[in-house]
Amino acid sequence: MSENNQLRDVFAAIADPTRRRLIRLLAETEELPLHELTSQFPMGRTAVSKHLTILKEAGLVLDRRVGRETRFRLNASPLREIQDWVDFYRKFWSMNMLRLNQLLEEEEEE
Amino acid sequence: MSLSLSLDFQYTTSIEKAWSALTDSSKLAKWITENDFKPVVGHRFQFRHQPSEYWDGIVDGEVLIVEAPNRLSYSWATGDERHTVTWTLQDLGDGKVNLHLEQTGFSNAHGLEGAKYGWREWFGKFEKVLE
Repeated sequence: MSENNQLRDVFAAIADPTRRRLIRLLAETEELPLHELTSQFPMGRTAVSKHLTILKEAGLVLDRRVGRETRFRLNASPLREIQDWVDFYRKFWSMNMLRLNQLLEEEEEE
Repeated sequence: MSLSLSLDFQYTTSIEKAWSALTDSSKLAKWITENDFKPVVGHRFQFRHQPSEYWDGIVDGEVLIVEAPNRLSYSWATGDERHTVTWTLQDLGDGKVNLHLEQTGFSNAHGLEGAKYGWREWFGKFEKVLE
């Protein structure tokens, strides 16, 4: 459903609070190794790693090997899809609020 | 990162009139759509838009909070999407009122497909109304 061949839906990827927290942590820094990410969560390395895999499949996280460790970084561009989705509602309400303004103005004139 | 929409609008009116526009069914019909809304906690209602090939046009809701004239909240469900819409009204003085809208609970991609392909048509109609 996306241009860059994501394996996983970005909406599903951010549906989990741990994964949203991972995105936030990675957004605040250039790059982090797994052990530094793991230390932020009350769960094991394997669990955090599974969440990172889901984020990777959604195209939200990129990883690279440096020596014996894997470092992770954020790729925020798939979040654009969510932005577009929310924008739909923004547009819906903005148009309705214009009509509300007309209604309120008419009432003032009465 | 939470999926929510947050918007503010300012109007030249009284807070009572703004509240009435948000809660009176015949007024809602003028700026949202035909409906059977009542500002009564637990009341179930529908906003009925023009159906299209892709969307039945129905928004199902239930009133959650009624605190006249400051706060109103209801659920907002259509297709696979279930959201909560909350209005907060604030009297700014000088005959101005701020309307704050918060829509939370955005979820999945099925709704996105609907939005992309079907509801575009719906907006086309809205834009014509506003012209």
